[in-house]
Amino acid sequence: MKYIKFFILFGILASFSANALLEVNIIKSKEDSFPIVIAPFEMIGNFQEDVDLAKIIRENLNRSGQFDAKSTNQLTTGPIDFDFYLKHKKDAIVFGKIRQISSNVNHAEIYIYDVLTQKPLYVNKLAFTNGALRKTAHALSDVIYYALLGQKGSFNTRLSFVTVSNKKNNGKRTYRLKISDWDGKNEQTIIKSLYPILSPAWSADQRKIAYVSFKNNRSDVFVKYVFQETLPQKLPKFDGIASSPSWHPDGKNIALTLSKNGNKDIYLYNFESQKLKRLTTNIAIDTEANFSPDGKSIAFTSNRTGQVQVYIKNLKSGKISRATFEGRYNAKPAYSPDGKDLALIHRVGKDYRVALLDIASRDLTILTQNKSDESPYFSPNGGMIIYSTNRDNKGILSIISLHNNQTVELMQKEGEVREPSWSNYSN
Amino acid sequence: MSKKILLLSSVIFLSSCAATSISELGDKFLDLINPSDTPTEVTDLGEEVFIAYDDSDGFTFEELEVLSNDELIEIAKEKGLEDMLKIDADGNLQNREQIINALLEAEALLDNATQELQSLSNDALIERAEEKGLEDLLKIDADGNLQNREQIIDVLLEAEALLDNATQELQSLSNDALIERAEEKGMDSVVVSGELKSLSNDELIEIAKEKGMEDILVLDADGNLQNRNEVVEALTDNLIILDEDGNIQNKDEVIEALREGAEETKLAALLLENAGITSTLYFSYDDSEIDEVATRIIIEHANFMQSNPSFNLRLEGHADERGTREYNLALGENRALNVKEVLGLYNLEDRIVVVSYGEEQPILTGSNEEAWEKNRRVEFSYY
Repeated sequence: MKYIKFFILFGILASFSANALLEVNIIKSKEDSFPIVIAPFEMIGNFQEDVDLAKIIRENLNRSGQFDAKSTNQLTTGPIDFDFYLKHKKDAIVFGKIRQISSNVNHAEIYIYDVLTQKPLYVNKLAFTNGALRKTAHALSDVIYYALLGQKGSFNTRLSFVTVSNKKNNGKRTYRLKISDWDGKNEQTIIKSLYPILSPAWSADQRKIAYVSFKNNRSDVFVKYVFQETLPQKLPKFDGIASSPSWHPDGKNIALTLSKNGNKDIYLYNFESQKLKRLTTNIAIDTEANFSPDGKSIAFTSNRTGQVQVYIKNLKSGKISRATFEGRYNAKPAYSPDGKDLALIHRVGKDYRVALLDIASRDLTILTQNKSDESPYFSPNGGMIIYSTNRDNKGILSIISLHNNQTVELMQKEGEVREPSWSNYSN
Repeated sequence: MSKKILLLSSVIFLSSCAATSISELGDKFLDLINPSDTPTEVTDLGEEVFIAYDDSDGFTFEELEVLSNDELIEIAKEKGLEDMLKIDADGNLQNREQIINALLEAEALLDNATQELQSLSNDALIERAEEKGLEDLLKIDADGNLQNREQIIDVLLEAEALLDNATQELQSLSNDALIERAEEKGMDSVVVSGELKSLSNDELIEIAKEKGMEDILVLDADGNLQNRNEVVEALTDNLIILDEDGNIQNKDEVIEALREGAEETKLAALLLENAGITSTLYFSYDDSEIDEVATRIIIEHANFMQSNPSFNLRLEGHADERGTREYNLALGENRALNVKEVLGLYNLEDRIVVVSYGEEQPILTGSNEEAWEKNRRVEFSYY
C-alpha cells in the first residue's frame, strides 16, 4: 500500500464555519484498479469559480478504489497520441469541455476513448447550472464511472457527520452537525450546540436530517430541514428517552428507539397521523433500527439473548430472526442499497471492527484492523462504507472501498469527527 | 496552599530574628503583618503565630503587599480569581495591584458575611440553616442547643459563596446565551412590543393562554381581567420577555429562576459531601447489575431524599466508549433505571427522573481500563 497524503485547502463561503476543515488522507491501493487518464478540461466562457474539474474527477475516481486516474498535458485540440497511453498501460482517456451557454447554463461535453481500439467509448453533452462547477464535476464523475463500469457512482452525494471541538467553553465542548460533499468539501454547519449530537440520518429525499440531541439534558429526536432556515422540530414528547432515528424510504415514517417505562423498544412514528406503532416488544434492549431499502424490514441491535446481536424483523409477517451468529457482539446494522448485506460493528477480542454480513448465507467478513470502529453506513451505490474510528486517539471518518479495501480518511486538524451518514443521490 | 506560603514566609522571618526575645518578636511581627489585630497575650508562640497567619482571619493590604508575585498568583487561584490574572509569556504577573485589591475586596465580603453569621443567636442560626435545607447537618442536644455552631457557619458561608458564583456567572452571560440557557431549562419566551406593563388586558390574557398559564387569570362574567398586576408579575417571573430586537426585558427574573435550580443542586452536593455520601456508582462492562456495595449507597440516598423532601433527583446513566453509541445510550439508561428501581422500594419514584448520556460524557478520556472503569457509572444529581 502506498501512502499519499495531501491536505486540501479550499475556500468555502464566508458564512460557513471555517474553523475546522476536513483534511483527506488516502491509503491507496492500486490493486485491481482501472488505469485511465483524465485530461484537463477546456473551459470556454467567463467563469467566476476557479475549479479544476478534471482534478476533482480524478480524485473522485481514485478514492472509489475502482480507478487509477492520472492527468496528462494532452488537450482536446490536436490528435491523441494513443501509442503513448498504450505504452504507459492506460486503458482509457477522458476529455471534457465546459462551455458557458448563458448566465445560467453551462454545457459539458464528455469524450471517453478506448486506448487499445482508439475508438470513442462514450460521447455525451449535458447541461448544468452555471455557478455550480464542483457539483458538475461530481455529476460528470458519476457519468464516467457508469460509462466505464456499468455501475452507478456515489460522487454527487453528501455526507452528514458530527464534529466535536477539543476546546471547552464553560466546561463544555462544542458539537456541530455538519454536511459536506462526499469528498469532505463544501462543509456547512447545520446545528451548533454545547450538548452532544448523535445519529444524524438523511431522509431519502435528502431534504431532512433526523438526529439525537441532548440540549434538553436528555436524548430527544429532532428533524431539521437541511436547506431551510427553520428551527429544528422536536418530535412530540414521548414518555422516556427517544433516540436512534432511521427514516423509512417513504419519508413519512421514522423508526425510533423509545424507552417507555424503561423498556427500550423500536417504534414507528408516522408524521402524518402523528401516531406511534410499536415494532418490538422484548424486555431487553432493542435499538439501532435501520430500514431495508424496500422498507419491508428493519435490522436492529438487541441483547435479548444476553449477548448483543443483530436481528431482522419482517414488518409484514412480524417475524423476527437473528441475523448474526459469529462472535459475542454485533451491533449497529446498516443495510446495503441492494438489501442483501448488512454493514455492522463486530467485536473481535477487545476490538470493535466494521464487518460485512451476507444476510442469506450468514457469511461475515471483517473489513478493518481497527480498535474502535463505529457507525458504518453504505454509499448509495453500495461500493463503499463510511464509518468512524480512532486514529492516534482522535476521532476520524474513514471510507473503505469494498472493491479493494482502499481507505480514504477524513479528519479535522483540531477536534473529532464522528457519526457519519451518507445521503442518497442528489436531485 | 496560601496557608502554607504564609507560614513559610513567617518561618523565614522568625529565623532571621532568632536573637530577639519572644515578646518583642510578637509585637514586631504583628506590626509588619497584621497591625490591626492585637493578640491578648503571646505565650505559646507556635499556636499564636499559626493563628495570626491563618488566612481565614482575612488578608490585609500589608500582608499581601509583602508577598512575591508567585505567591499572589497561588492565592488568587485558590480564591477563584484565576480569570483575573494577567500573566505575560514569561509567567510574570502584570496586574499585581488589581489582584491585591480584588483579594481584599473578596475578603471584606466574606468577613461581613462571617460577622453577620457569628452575630446570630443559636436559634437564629438553626432557622437560617433550615431555610437553606441544611437541617440534616444540625447537631442539637436534648435541650435544643446547637452543638456544631462553627461547622454550620462554615457550611452556610460556603453555600452562599457557591450561589454568588452562580449568580455572577449568569449575569456575565450574553443576552443570547442567557436566552439559550433559560430555554434549555424549559422557560418559554414571548416577544412583546414595549413593556409588559403597557399591554392591554386582552393582550395579557392572550399571552397567558398561549403559554398555558390561563390558570392564573381571574376574569369577570364579561371576560374582563380582574387581577392585572398578578398576571403581569406571574408572566414576568415565568417567561422570557423579549423586546422586538430580541433583548431580554426581565433579566433579573430570568436569572433568579435559573439560579433557583442551581441552588438546589449545589446545596444537595454540599450536604451529601458533608454527610460523606458518594454521588457516583460504578458498573462492570456491559452490565447494569446493582451489587451489595451499590445497594448500600442507594439506601443512603433514599434516606437523604426522605429527610430532604424538597430535593428531586436526576439519575444520569453513563457507559464507557466501547461498543456502539446508541446501544451505550440504552445501557446507560438501564443502569440508571436499576438504581431508580431500588429507590422505588422507598416510594421515591415520583421524585426521580432518569436520563442517559451513553458514552457521550466520559469522566476520563482515553482508551484504557482505568478510563473505562471510571466512565461506566450512574451519577446522582439533585435539583
